[in-house]
Amino acid sequence: MTSLSRKGRTRKGNWPLEAAMIVLAVLFFIPIYYLIVTTFKSPEQATLHPLSFPSSFGFAHYRDAWHAMDYPKVLGNTAIVAVSSVVGIILFSSMAAYSLARREHAVNRVIFFFFLAGMMVPFQMGLVSLFKLINSLGIMDTLLAVICVNIGGGVVLAIFLFKSFIETSVPLELEEAAFIDGASVQRTFWLIAFPLLTPVTATVAILSTLNVWNDFLNPLLFLQSRDNSLILLEVYRNIGQFSVDWTSLFPMLLLGVAPLMIFYLVMQKYIIKGVAAGALKG
Amino acid sequence: MNRTAREFQYGLFLIPAFLFYVLFCVYPFATMFYYSLTDYSIAKQTGLHFVGFRNFSEIAHYDLLLAGIKNSLIYAVLMTVFQTALGILLAVALDKKLKTRNVLRSVFFLPAVFSPLVIGFLWNYLLSTSDAGLINRALTSIGLDKVNFLGDSDLALYAVVFTQLWQWTGWAMVIFLANLQSISKDYYEAAAIDGATSSQQFWRITLPLLQPSVSVVSVTAMIGGLKVFDIVMSLTGGGPGNATQTIMTAYIKTSFDEGFYSFGAAYGVVFFGAVLVLTMLLMQLLKKWGGSNR
Repeated sequence: MTSLSRKGRTRKGNWPLEAAMIVLAVLFFIPIYYLIVTTFKSPEQATLHPLSFPSSFGFAHYRDAWHAMDYPKVLGNTAIVAVSSVVGIILFSSMAAYSLARREHAVNRVIFFFFLAGMMVPFQMGLVSLFKLINSLGIMDTLLAVICVNIGGGVVLAIFLFKSFIETSVPLELEEAAFIDGASVQRTFWLIAFPLLTPVTATVAILSTLNVWNDFLNPLLFLQSRDNSLILLEVYRNIGQFSVDWTSLFPMLLLGVAPLMIFYLVMQKYIIKGVAAGALKG
Repeated sequence: MNRTAREFQYGLFLIPAFLFYVLFCVYPFATMFYYSLTDYSIAKQTGLHFVGFRNFSEIAHYDLLLAGIKNSLIYAVLMTVFQTALGILLAVALDKKLKTRNVLRSVFFLPAVFSPLVIGFLWNYLLSTSDAGLINRALTSIGLDKVNFLGDSDLALYAVVFTQLWQWTGWAMVIFLANLQSISKDYYEAAAIDGATSSQQFWRITLPLLQPSVSVVSVTAMIGGLKVFDIVMSLTGGGPGNATQTIMTAYIKTSFDEGFYSFGAAYGVVFFGAVLVLTMLLMQLLKKWGGSNR
């Protein structure tokens, strides 16, 4: 009886909270709504009715933005950078984490700490030297430069996540059986251990994709030619050129975030799970 | 297969990650300590001389760099405190049994997937005093005066913080929610039987048990806050004056636009020191708090 009445009360009592949260969420969403609807408006329309639903859906602004940014090309370049970086991070850090988890001698403990310290160090302060290094490696103004830097910075958190997952959730028995049968470390890892890492691989993939896709500073420094441009660089470079007709800038901003917006709409559950897992498991 | 061969194979597994990490992170970082003591600049790239700590003492005479340090500290502290506090509030509210809570959670998280660069350009419009300035139009429509958020040097930094709280609070919320869901409901039932009010339950049960996520969110916010760059570039460009220059924007300007490499390097060393000291302080604080809960 008491529990029933309490339940009834809390359900009723949650309505004010629910209403308040909905209002807050609407306010929260207005900037994004504004970004979307303004892409279809002329400056006059947007000034008169900034929040109205667009009266017509002209794609002329989108076409201009698409051409100005050379969108197919920069989307392709960004995808190449993101996929190569994320694959590199996953392969290299899972291998390293496996080795560190299965061989816990003093040297490996020092190496693990050496990686771990990277979480606190602002490596950006080395950009001048990094710039010089990229130059002398002959990869300046290539996508490879950005990919390499992404992998170097990305393995830190990934190794940490992979290692704690391997230690807590990958049983040793199967690997030992494989060793007795004479399998090499490589074979054992790729055929037995790696497939068991799927949950943490997904977490690392999601976190790295968000980081790499949204990174602006490294591409800004290491990519100069339009041929090797990325989406965000084009947004940055084109932003001054439409100042009079300001609403025509909005399609460019939307095209700038569209790929990740779609990624989020499709993978929402996994992204939210991945963010939480990346922060708390370890 | 013999033991040595196996140990060797384990060792090989470390090499790719180690190589990329050392070459593209550690080595450039380490050389900056050396450059910070030389006269390296765009005009003098070979035959470097040792100049002792001259670069460090000159930082004190350079407004851009001092402003960068001051603003980054304010920004990082505000982000740490508010992202944690607001994130907890949102998470506690959306942990309740609301019908729309899944939709609400996705809405609050949404800005976190966007690039801060684009968010900066968008808010540049929203906060402006022009026709596109949605916030100012809302203010004037209820009879208030326009506020030049980004053009007023007393307000601009707080405007940057505001946009970043809008963007990242949902991220913090998701982490707090995951932590909340791991707290056993038994505690609350026992507390309710003992007559604890819901605010007592929050302070005595929820908050202490949120310690793991509070640590992660606040330390990440602090380190990320000190490194802030993209949003400043697109929202204010560091201005008005130096009002929103941060350590990273000042570092990039000094090193890459002006070519004072060694000077920038010295500044970077100070930056590293700031991150180290603040993170240690924060961790001590969190440890103390964790200890008092036990």
